[in-house]
Amino acid sequence: MTNQKETQEKKPVLRVRDLHVSFASEAGVVRAVRGVNFDLYRGKTLGIVGESGSGKSVTSMAIMGLLDKNASVKGSVRYRGEELLDKDDLAMSKIRGKGIAMVFQDPLSALTPVFSIGDQIKEALTIHNPGMSAEQIHDRSIELMNLVGIPEPEKRLTAFPHQFSGGMRQRVMIAMAIANDPDVIIADEPTTALDVTIQAQILEVLKKAQRETGAAVIFITHDLGVIAGMADDIIVMYAGRPVEYADVDSIFAHPAMPYTMGLLGAVPRSDRGSDKRLVPIPGSPVNLADLPQGCPFAPRCPMATDACRHEEPELKPISGLEGQLAACLRADEIASKGLTFHDVYQVDDRTPSKFAHIPRSQRRKVLELKDVCKTFPVTSGGFFRRNVGKVHAVDGVSFDVCEGETVALVGESGSGKSTTLTQVMNFTEPESGSITVLGTTLSKKHMSREKRRELRAQVQYVFQDPMSSLDPRLPIYDVLAEPLKAQHKSREEIRQRIGELMRLVELNPDQVDRFPTQFSGGQRQRIAIARALAVNPKLVLLDEPVSALDVSIQAGVINLLEDLQNKLGVAYLFVAHNLSVVRHISSRIAVMYLGRLVEVGDTDDVFDHPLHPYTKALMSAVPVPDPQRERSRQRVVLQGELPSATETFAGCPFVGRCPLMPTLTKEQQARCMGERPSMRVSNEASRGDGHTVACHFA
Amino acid sequence: MIKYIVKRIANYVVMLFIAVSLTYFLASAFMDPRSNYMSRHPHPPIASINRSLTLANINDQTPVIIRYGRWLKNIVTRWDWGLSPDQSPVGPAIAARIGASVQLVTLATVLGVVFGVSIGVYTAIRQYKWQDRALNTVATFFLVIPTAVLGLLVVLLAISFNKSTGSRIFYVTGLHSYTGSNPFLWFLDFAQHLILPTIVLTIPGMVSYHLTQRTYLLDTMNADYVRTARAKGLPLNVAIRRHALRTSLIPTAVDVAFSIASVFTGAVITETVFAINGVGSYFVQAISQNDINGSVAVTAFGGVCTLTGALLADIFSAWLDPRIRLS
Repeated sequence: MTNQKETQEKKPVLRVRDLHVSFASEAGVVRAVRGVNFDLYRGKTLGIVGESGSGKSVTSMAIMGLLDKNASVKGSVRYRGEELLDKDDLAMSKIRGKGIAMVFQDPLSALTPVFSIGDQIKEALTIHNPGMSAEQIHDRSIELMNLVGIPEPEKRLTAFPHQFSGGMRQRVMIAMAIANDPDVIIADEPTTALDVTIQAQILEVLKKAQRETGAAVIFITHDLGVIAGMADDIIVMYAGRPVEYADVDSIFAHPAMPYTMGLLGAVPRSDRGSDKRLVPIPGSPVNLADLPQGCPFAPRCPMATDACRHEEPELKPISGLEGQLAACLRADEIASKGLTFHDVYQVDDRTPSKFAHIPRSQRRKVLELKDVCKTFPVTSGGFFRRNVGKVHAVDGVSFDVCEGETVALVGESGSGKSTTLTQVMNFTEPESGSITVLGTTLSKKHMSREKRRELRAQVQYVFQDPMSSLDPRLPIYDVLAEPLKAQHKSREEIRQRIGELMRLVELNPDQVDRFPTQFSGGQRQRIAIARALAVNPKLVLLDEPVSALDVSIQAGVINLLEDLQNKLGVAYLFVAHNLSVVRHISSRIAVMYLGRLVEVGDTDDVFDHPLHPYTKALMSAVPVPDPQRERSRQRVVLQGELPSATETFAGCPFVGRCPLMPTLTKEQQARCMGERPSMRVSNEASRGDGHTVACHFA
Repeated sequence: MIKYIVKRIANYVVMLFIAVSLTYFLASAFMDPRSNYMSRHPHPPIASINRSLTLANINDQTPVIIRYGRWLKNIVTRWDWGLSPDQSPVGPAIAARIGASVQLVTLATVLGVVFGVSIGVYTAIRQYKWQDRALNTVATFFLVIPTAVLGLLVVLLAISFNKSTGSRIFYVTGLHSYTGSNPFLWFLDFAQHLILPTIVLTIPGMVSYHLTQRTYLLDTMNADYVRTARAKGLPLNVAIRRHALRTSLIPTAVDVAFSIASVFTGAVITETVFAINGVGSYFVQAISQNDINGSVAVTAFGGVCTLTGALLADIFSAWLDPRIRLS
């Protein structure tokens, strides 16, 4: 270690002072960032956490100089002593990619579709080193691809982005970001668009990239679990301002700003059972074009006093907590009394369930799937389309849903969980196998129109994106009246029921004449839930119902779903990729891999004692919002990616990625490859009721 | 790539055959060349009408399937596209018209595409600046002017220009009037004839390519991958040129290729204004004179143009976009 290097590490590589960004918009001036300060040191990771609209991404784009022209940026961003905000696009382009590099959120759209991977990496190299020879470029490209873990780099150089999966594309993005050994890497939600197993891989790659380059990293995310394992220091942002700043352990151990506390309390955890209710932060995020006077969080803060509503607090040190800063008038009080979010936020009690004391085996089955299959043909040829193969999207799936319980379908994207849900929604006979709703098996021929309509009313849906699933031109009254009209209810009945429904989902019944756009995301999802419940269904199918919502809003919707289930006894079939949410809300869980079920059981049982090697890997990939646990945790990081859907497997489809395989004998391996494992009850007798697994050796 | 093109061509030949045959049957069903004779006063003897119609293979008293068989046989064996009701052969007439149309249309198409796309790119990069606003206004103005009005306007301007200079710089009718053998003078004469119709044909194409290319580029300019390119260190303009332009050219290429047929058959108004005997005016004549063979032949030519355009579009987009090339 040279002397020079040491002094370098003491000086911040990036120094941001009093950064303000505002945009002119139709609604007025949007003040997206209002006074961000931080120093960034080489080798350190700064996490910026916040919900959408908190200004975290705008901050990073302002540093890169990539904001739209209508953005006005004030303050100071100094990179190695050089002021960046005074530079024009041409001068900034000398620093972008060389001194400061960036990895974006959505790898699927971040690479130019018409250039090969090799060309795109080459461009990142040559733009800053015009003198590089073709051979040097080639060698460096291969080196970079090896570093980020792209197999067969030589072959992959000539491939195009569409031939890569999302995870692989994100690796390419990282390779390009570190191509010129930057001092700063900005990662803006780099894993948000990825599956949890791929997320774990990419986080490892990012850590490795940081070790290799010694760069400082700004890691922007809304996911507290991810940040716990990645960051050294954390800035929590709200309404364009940092509201709390500290090292990662302090933030998670003793948050001092009520918003930070709320965020931590609002996140479900995959490592804990669902005995505790989530803490929703009341209200909805602020409108940046029309900020309230005083602390912007005051309208939602249970501890707000009159002083909070008059004066916006500065980010300042908290007495008694060294190195921790908070922008809260009552931070000192919170710190000295050691208040936690249970003291700050009101957590109301959960409604007791109608079915709490009835064991599962004695409950009625509302939905039963038996060996359901769904294939999609793969076509080729120009003039005459011909089938060249089949994709087994759902392959022999069997499970059941009982009254008053929540069954979650989980798996990576492409595992067939949504297709399974669609099979139920289609409400006809599946391709093969059978679907039974409330004791009636769905069939094309033997169902009268009347019977079908009656049964239809018992099964309702809530979709992922509440913006696109509600007709923007229908007032809420009509949205809610539609399912009732389909059941031929009288006008008076409909009017009464709509009032009831609005109260049920905790919305103001006077607002029924408004349009969906006049509601926030969380409220819209409540409306979607109300619509689903309008006709008193026995089963609601929920497709990623909370994944489009911010953490603080999400908690409220999850609590609402829980309450409604307990009150009304409705069953949920729940599809989600967020395993923490699944653990919190579901009572049973079915894990899918490539269209097949690999494990089914009680949620706590599956999470705490997963049997199938895939389930184990999936569970261990979920980040937990606890820095100490994250650091000490041993991950089962799955190698490779989901195989192509057109591949067919004689045996277990997981063999190519299975961590168990190398430990098996030759004969055992042959069995895995040749014989399809069937669902069987686990060997270990201690397991709860009906814990089944599809693995020969688990 | 070769295999891909061959497969495409085979597909297109089948499609063309079906389309032209259908046109033949449709034209035979709807067009009534007999009425050309019957409407004369007094009409010629029925026997002589029948003889003329049979000679041209358009007699409605012969079953259509037999006429179709003869027509097809003549094309396949002798490349003979049949006779008009006035007994003149269709093939040579169309060939001459195509020659005139090609002279008229080619330059206008090329200029329209080149200027239109360039202005589109120029304005997209300067979105909402005064250059963009000014050029868009001009483009919208020309977009709403009918070709006939534009043509007459250009003619009037040219004539008044000729008058004010006292010499005939622009010709407003035909394509050629020089009869000598000096190739330079021939070309000068040709240019003097060509310039006005070219202007009239170029402007509508140019403004529509300008407006569509501007939209396409604006769509891709804000794409994530352009931001990635900038984050790698490319200045904004370079990033747009290298990463956004190429993807935005794909839809334009398809538009251009598919417009080939319509510029040939759709230049009727310009041809009329400048008294040029092109394919467009021939097509209109053929239909009004119940010329079954002529109409079908023009359709076949239009079909060949469309499919050539489609093939060019396929090849061009495959060249620009590896996703098409590789699947």
